[in-house]
Amino acid sequence: MLNILVCVKQVPDVDLVKMDPVTGSLIREGVPAILNPLDGNAMEAAVRVKEQYGATITAITMGPPAAEAVLRECLSVGADRAVLITDRAFKDADTLATSYVVAKAAEEFGPYDLIFCGKETLDGATGQMGAQLAERFGSALVTSASRILEIDEAADTLVTEREMETGIETVQARIPCLFTIEKTNYQPRIPNFKGKKAARFAEIVTRTASTIPGLDPSRIGAVGSGTIVPRTYPPERGESGVMIDEGSAERNGAKIVEILAETGLI
Amino acid sequence: MEKSAYKNMWVYIEHDGKRAHPVGLELCCEVRKLCDVTGDKLVAVLVEGLPEEELAKIRACGIDQLLVVSGTGYEAYSNDAYSNLFTVLCRKYNPSAVFVGGTINGRDFAPRFAARLNTGCTSDATELVYNPESGDIEFIEPAVGGKMMAVITVPVLRPQVGTIRPGTFRYEPTGEKPAVEVLHETVDFPVADIRTKLLGFVPDDADADLDLANTDVIVCLGNGLSGPDKLPKYRELAALLGGKIACTRPLFDRGILPFKLQIGQSGVMVKPKLYIGFGISGAINHTAGFAGSGLSIAVNTDPEAPIFGAVDYGIVGDMDEVCDAMLAALKAR
Repeated sequence: MLNILVCVKQVPDVDLVKMDPVTGSLIREGVPAILNPLDGNAMEAAVRVKEQYGATITAITMGPPAAEAVLRECLSVGADRAVLITDRAFKDADTLATSYVVAKAAEEFGPYDLIFCGKETLDGATGQMGAQLAERFGSALVTSASRILEIDEAADTLVTEREMETGIETVQARIPCLFTIEKTNYQPRIPNFKGKKAARFAEIVTRTASTIPGLDPSRIGAVGSGTIVPRTYPPERGESGVMIDEGSAERNGAKIVEILAETGLI
Repeated sequence: MEKSAYKNMWVYIEHDGKRAHPVGLELCCEVRKLCDVTGDKLVAVLVEGLPEEELAKIRACGIDQLLVVSGTGYEAYSNDAYSNLFTVLCRKYNPSAVFVGGTINGRDFAPRFAARLNTGCTSDATELVYNPESGDIEFIEPAVGGKMMAVITVPVLRPQVGTIRPGTFRYEPTGEKPAVEVLHETVDFPVADIRTKLLGFVPDDADADLDLANTDVIVCLGNGLSGPDKLPKYRELAALLGGKIACTRPLFDRGILPFKLQIGQSGVMVKPKLYIGFGISGAINHTAGFAGSGLSIAVNTDPEAPIFGAVDYGIVGDMDEVCDAMLAALKAR
């Protein structure tokens, strides 16, 4: 039976995050934390493989204790085990440090045949985790995977489609293999009542810096990160264009058409 | 090793044996400016097989060195061979920075070799600034969906690795240097160790509606769109103006329009003669995608929406009503 790892992240719904125009800082209060959307696609891809070939699925995340919620979502649609990595020592980790910690914590339930990640997150959006996790696991890598066509367990190979800029590649890869999953063909399923109920009471395996065996403290958190964010600032808002206000939507629409005609665009 | 011991900035030139991908040339032009400040050499790194006229385009960007790689394992792109190649080359030459075009394949191998070298990797910077005090490059990029700009640096480790999206910088060659040094390296990667194999490639259907790159007029729809039932009027408007409809990320996320129609840094970068945005808040990720357009117009209910700072004309109002009014006015002509 295939052993599968699905890596997920809880993210703020960035479309609802606003910036304080005075302080320039982000207003996070009241913004819901959600399962990173593409991680939902990754989870769905893993569940489809499990349905077709048989598999044990471990879902893993790193984050604050509340990130447990996204693991319960994974459990509700087919994950067999969930691992929460949480410790203040992991704070401010970039992808270099995070991929190290996630791979270390996942080892306990490995080795894995297949590892699934979303293509990128809504918040950090670096899209680097998949490639760096593949490096930690020493696995083959297929990024932007849009469809898993076939898995040959006897030969330890699989065939997958990859969504490229100008078309679709068909790629054969050796197992173990890590995929970053595209949204296209893996719309997440809605959990049924039974799944939801089971997920609510399922045990979550929790690991901290001191309970992950062999963790090198110099490679975690801010100190283990390759990158830092020394400062942030609000995007410069350009000078506003000419505001059209003719008193009604009807007249405003007509005014645009007039401008288009004057500039020779129609 | 002290970070000051790492010298020179590299740009990887992705190519298909016929043409260099434009992003490599764009990066050479931009990194040239950094090297002029730091005194580093600008090195273009590529796998052999590019015709002379394409090499001339790279030289025209003012590179100091051309590092040409030969060896086994590079006939088709693979994560294994390219991750190994840059690990080997960086260990030998110790560059200060490595820039890789943020194509799907560039984003596939750059983070991996960065992790193998145990160094920092950034993605999608829209601005590169050298900080003489720290000696680090500041990779400046939109963050949290474009709600803020983040400065990212690699303060201790080297090389500083960055992937940059195609179209972020301009190809404005400053001219060939009198002496461009050409270095040759052979790095063999055993073909048997490549764990992925390309079996086939099917180009996307040439669906004209999905090709935004050469479109003069774009009617772009944002999260303000109430639902797919409202699409027909915008399609009609686009058709009357001789253009096509496009969207921002939330509409793709909502499953209303396909990814190929997403304008912005992670989607398509466009420069139409006319851009009209409806119901778009104007996150920098999106506005960067149509910068340089001819005439730009935005309609949004929120007078504070950042989109109004990125367009020539703005209208505060209901997008559907303004669209209806435009349709009526166009038909009355």
